[in-house]
Amino acid sequence: MMALTMNTGTLSTARDRRARLTRDAIGVLVILAVAVLGYLLFPNNLALLTRITAIALLVLSLDLVTGYCGVATLGHAALFGAGAYGAGIAAAHFGITDPIAMLAVGVVAGALAGLVSGAVVLRAHGLPQLVLSIAIIHLAHEAANKASGWTGGSDGLAGIMPDAVFGLWQFDLWGRTAYVFGIVLLIAAFVVLRQIVRSPFGMLCRGIKQDPLRVRAMGASVHGTLIRMYAISGAVAGAGGALNAISTQVVGLDSLSFTLSAEALVMLVLGGTGSLYGALIGTLSFLWFEDVVSAANPFHWLTIVGALLIAVVLFAPKGLYGSLAALIERRGRKGR
Amino acid sequence: MQTVFSIGVDALAYGMVLFVISIGLSVTMGLMRVVNLAHGAFAMIGGYIASYAARDLGLAYAVAVMLAVVGTILIAIPVERLLYHRIYGQPELTQVLMTIGITFCVIGIANYVFGPTLKTIPTPDSLREPVSLGFRTVSAHRLFVIACGTAVALGLWYFIERTAFGVKLRASVDNAAMAAALGVKTEVVYAVSFAVAVGLAAFGGVVGAELLPIEPYYALRYMVTFLVVVSVGGAGSIPGALAACLLLGAIDTTGRYLMPEFGEFFFYLAVIAIVWIFPRGLAGRAK
Amino acid sequence: MKHVAIAALAAVLMGGVAHADTIKVGVVGPFSGPFALQGKNFKAGIDAYMALNGNTVGDDTIEVIYRDIPTADPAQSKALSQELVVKEGVQYLAGFYFTPDAMAATPLLEQANVPMVVMNAATSAIVTKSPYVVRTSFTTWQTSTPIAKVAFDGGTRKVISVVSDYGPGVDAEAAFKAGFEAAGGEIVEAIRMPLQTNDFSPIMQRIKDSGAEGVFAFLPSGPTTLGFVKAFNENGLKAGGVKFFAPGDLTQESDLPALGEAALGLTTTFHYAVSHDSAENKKFVEAAGKAIGNPAELSFPAVGAYDGMHVIYKMIEATGGAQDAAKAVEAVKGLSWESPRGPVTIDAESRHITQNIYLREVAKADDGTYYNKEVQTFEKQGDPGLAAAK
Repeated sequence: MMALTMNTGTLSTARDRRARLTRDAIGVLVILAVAVLGYLLFPNNLALLTRITAIALLVLSLDLVTGYCGVATLGHAALFGAGAYGAGIAAAHFGITDPIAMLAVGVVAGALAGLVSGAVVLRAHGLPQLVLSIAIIHLAHEAANKASGWTGGSDGLAGIMPDAVFGLWQFDLWGRTAYVFGIVLLIAAFVVLRQIVRSPFGMLCRGIKQDPLRVRAMGASVHGTLIRMYAISGAVAGAGGALNAISTQVVGLDSLSFTLSAEALVMLVLGGTGSLYGALIGTLSFLWFEDVVSAANPFHWLTIVGALLIAVVLFAPKGLYGSLAALIERRGRKGR
Repeated sequence: MQTVFSIGVDALAYGMVLFVISIGLSVTMGLMRVVNLAHGAFAMIGGYIASYAARDLGLAYAVAVMLAVVGTILIAIPVERLLYHRIYGQPELTQVLMTIGITFCVIGIANYVFGPTLKTIPTPDSLREPVSLGFRTVSAHRLFVIACGTAVALGLWYFIERTAFGVKLRASVDNAAMAAALGVKTEVVYAVSFAVAVGLAAFGGVVGAELLPIEPYYALRYMVTFLVVVSVGGAGSIPGALAACLLLGAIDTTGRYLMPEFGEFFFYLAVIAIVWIFPRGLAGRAK
Repeated sequence: MKHVAIAALAAVLMGGVAHADTIKVGVVGPFSGPFALQGKNFKAGIDAYMALNGNTVGDDTIEVIYRDIPTADPAQSKALSQELVVKEGVQYLAGFYFTPDAMAATPLLEQANVPMVVMNAATSAIVTKSPYVVRTSFTTWQTSTPIAKVAFDGGTRKVISVVSDYGPGVDAEAAFKAGFEAAGGEIVEAIRMPLQTNDFSPIMQRIKDSGAEGVFAFLPSGPTTLGFVKAFNENGLKAGGVKFFAPGDLTQESDLPALGEAALGLTTTFHYAVSHDSAENKKFVEAAGKAIGNPAELSFPAVGAYDGMHVIYKMIEATGGAQDAAKAVEAVKGLSWESPRGPVTIDAESRHITQNIYLREVAKADDGTYYNKEVQTFEKQGDPGLAAAK
């Protein structure tokens, strides 16, 4: 069937494509399996799992610009926060309380924030680029703090009361609806992003990461491509932010903070950049680890998290997923 | 007019504090190409040692400063051998992960050992006196910091530009393999530069403690400021760092005087504007 | 006997499963990160209360479970509160250092049938978010209003207000302004400065140029207060006779060793000073000092936590260990007791604590340490913030 639709492709690319689609399907199944497992193993901890899902969207979106385009940023929470505040303000001030509509507002707000911060951040490279992103996140944070009439300032934006999803599933104390909502969103984002990073556009982005000069020589627009990726990234982060606003019903200034940006980067590098799986694994392992150690010792857990990060650099320098993939590949080659 | 002078003095003092604390980071990031987010942690360790020496042991301020610098370097040597050694030449993001990990550990340990309260470093009476400048008074400590900043800038410039070691350092930075082939012990060069950078961090932590007080979260709280200052100046350039500190110090101080409500906006908009005009930093070199 | 009967009735109504052996209390606070000191004080206050009053109420054993939120993070707060309620099965939520964290957890309370005892978060509106919220700390309005009267009565007529630009700072500014202008004074200027201000010299220059006779200041307790107070002295404002007024956050006891000489003579109003002279407080300071390890780290969140535990114990007593949030909250409405800070009452209508606010001056003790010396008492202060919001 696949081969038929690809009448111009050779047989081998058709096979490749089928293999890739199979791998995507496996990926979706793995996410689903982990999600169900999480639901069954921690039925009382769904709020945490939902939070992890929301952050996973942020880290995925960060991976798009950092892992695929090589843009260094410590201000990615600006996109996440834009989505969260967009959805929150829509609900609290404009009465848009349908969760799907709130999500849409969040996605649009995130994409717009992506365009703006992309336009600024892409002006420089390396360290100065990092600093531009830091400036953006601080400006966004200050702006939200100033506009306290709209955002609630440092007290947080409260009074977000999302309706039931499709009028059927109410957001409950146990957080079941929010969790399912989040997982569906995550899988949808994952599938879409897999297509995007594999498309010619995605390949172009990777090319820019490796050698922007050559891409420009080929006649492609480096800046335009990156800006577009930034907008996509913003939409994904915005969806994460909206999910956060819907599930917690409060939006705080922390969603626009440097800390969140830095944590997202840490999670991404921990998992491994440049592959969507790495982003997911990094988020899951970091937040889960943090939850376990901070519950075990709320007073001194930071030291243990620090030790974990050092250990990862020493023993899995490509990140958890990257090193694992490399290991499997090496085994596979030996086997052959 | 008096107000303008007065703000000028404040700006100069604040800029110099920033310079003294951040210049060590400029060395590691610009010359050794390590994104050292643990810089603040080393400054903090210096502060804690000085505080312990001066407050609990009752030693003289000068001795405390010396002890802080030496002690921090001694602590840093095994860290360099065991951890930093592994990330030289690695991708920046890996370096970020490692140095953030180190920072977390240092914060946790400081919190455990010294407790979460503020620690002060008692200054000698001569530094506490207000000094009259004619149109206003400033604390002697501020003048002392300005002097320290000037001394550090000159000393470091001489060290890098005029000594044999500086030549080796610059050679190793530009092309480590070639420098090694020419008989430069790059390992030693890196270790010494790292020690110098850490020593400067500790020195800055102690001298700047009046403005940026020592507490466990110090290591992260001011990290962004250091990073911004160094990058705006152009990592690795001493005149660049100095210019960035003075410029940003002036903008920050003036912004806070004129419109404190928007102080944060002033500062970061200025940062964006500067990087927009100088995408490699004020004194950044083309790669 | 009556309690037992009600408890038995409740147990029957609740399906007979209500009488648990261990009653869990979930405490959410900043136990690591930049505000670790304040979280440590929560724990010290709780430990002190349980050391003095035992860890049992009737037949039930009380177990406290701690969860860490290093900085204000409502999403995390909600996740942790939810986890505490549904997974750990806590019957009481307590702690909450930051307002947004408390706000985020309030929607859970009714559905979970769990009361919340706020041990710090100081924005007036929190108690209005759910009928199951009780607060044993203070509000910024409550502690900042009396200092306006102090300033006016002391002969100061022109004041410049300087606050950190975030929720509590804005509250403090509004509270002081309302009180001071009602008395007949004038606010010559109101400055809001960014939270991340390291160098306060330009602000001091502003104060000098404004020609005000006094300054009203609010900053969150911690490192920045040190820079602020030092700058106040170094720029010659103190020597120039500018009066300094602030709520007690600026001179919390754990910051005083660092502030040292610079803080001497500063006047603040607050609900609690570690030096408060009463038998109840002596007992508390001894127990809490032991719990925290280094008594110099003891500060106001400890007393909020201590009294919070008192309220929770009373709730458990009233419900006989059954999970009944409405009844538990009802039982402590109007409850009065002698706290380490002085006589206090839970206001029946607002569920916020009514307490004495003290005017204090930083003084040097004989052993060379600094402390807040109480010099005047404003009795039975409610929360003016709620009324102002209406």
